[in-house]
Amino acid sequence: MHLPDGIVPVSMALAGYGASAALAGLALARIRALPDPQGQVPRAAMLTAVFFAASLVAVPVPPASVHLLLAGLMGVLLGWFAVPAILVGLFLQAVLFGHGGITTLGLNAVILGLPALMAHAVWRLAGRRWPDLAGFVAGAGAVLAVLALFVAIVLAGLPVALDPGAERMALGALVLAHLPLALAEGMIVLAVLRLLRRMEPRLLPHG
Amino acid sequence: MTRGYRLAAFALCLAAPVPALSHAALVTAETATAIRLQAGYDTGDPMAHAQVRIYAPDDPARPWGQGVTDREGGFEFIPDPLPGRWSVQVRQAGHGAMAYVEVGAAGPVSLSTATRPDRVQQAVMVALVAWGALGTALFALRKRGRGDASS
Repeated sequence: MHLPDGIVPVSMALAGYGASAALAGLALARIRALPDPQGQVPRAAMLTAVFFAASLVAVPVPPASVHLLLAGLMGVLLGWFAVPAILVGLFLQAVLFGHGGITTLGLNAVILGLPALMAHAVWRLAGRRWPDLAGFVAGAGAVLAVLALFVAIVLAGLPVALDPGAERMALGALVLAHLPLALAEGMIVLAVLRLLRRMEPRLLPHG
Repeated sequence: MTRGYRLAAFALCLAAPVPALSHAALVTAETATAIRLQAGYDTGDPMAHAQVRIYAPDDPARPWGQGVTDREGGFEFIPDPLPGRWSVQVRQAGHGAMAYVEVGAAGPVSLSTATRPDRVQQAVMVALVAWGALGTALFALRKRGRGDASS
């Protein structure tokens, strides 16, 4: 679910860097405005490691490898911290595993960062009243949002030389293969929130 | 009469080979060095029926050739005798990779592709990143604790 190097035109990769820089700037400004900006750094650091390793948890569903994305979990647990955490995690994945590319780092950060912030918004709006439902919707919805962004960017950057019909078919198969992942990630967010509520309610994110 | 027939038959025999030649199949055979690719995901699954674009060394913008991988992710082509770096892109559903094939002036072909890290290497990388994250977390906690103590 990461765009590798050489798939999209250079102009789109540059635009992705611009968009992710704006997103990171906004997130850092919001973090600085928090009453205790340092307070969430330990949690953000640990979740960055979880996010980084999650892309190795692969479920073989043809035609592509389906791996955990965890954008929803990052968004719910970290809020605005999710954006820098995802950026760092994606950079390490690209450099160490070859998942995604360095030129497409900006695009990938947008593909995963925006859904994470959406999941955060869902949790803030409905987390207190319906915690289970909000957690599941945040986790599953983030996967669907990542899919939508990924497909839109791939289709927008299709080179002329490529057979668009075959690529659209392959993208359709990719979306179908990821639908079970949406359910799974919804359950993951729900389970983590329940566990936190029972074990350590102080760690529960609220707004 | 019979003489006339023989003459006609002779004339036909002379004429016949000319149109018949256009139907002759001519086969020339030569050996050529083909390049065989194997495309797969890092989970071990093959990239079946993925689209392949081949770029010659003299024109990296326009594809020199194209094709589709077979069910096992395999693909073969014979490059022109043009020395330099040939690039082959295999892509499917937004996933894909480039492979580079060095075609030398003398003919021999050396293949260069990225190797994927094995499980042990991946485990080491994950452990190192987790260690870094733990260090960052502890550092932030320590700074925080010190700040609390001084205030």
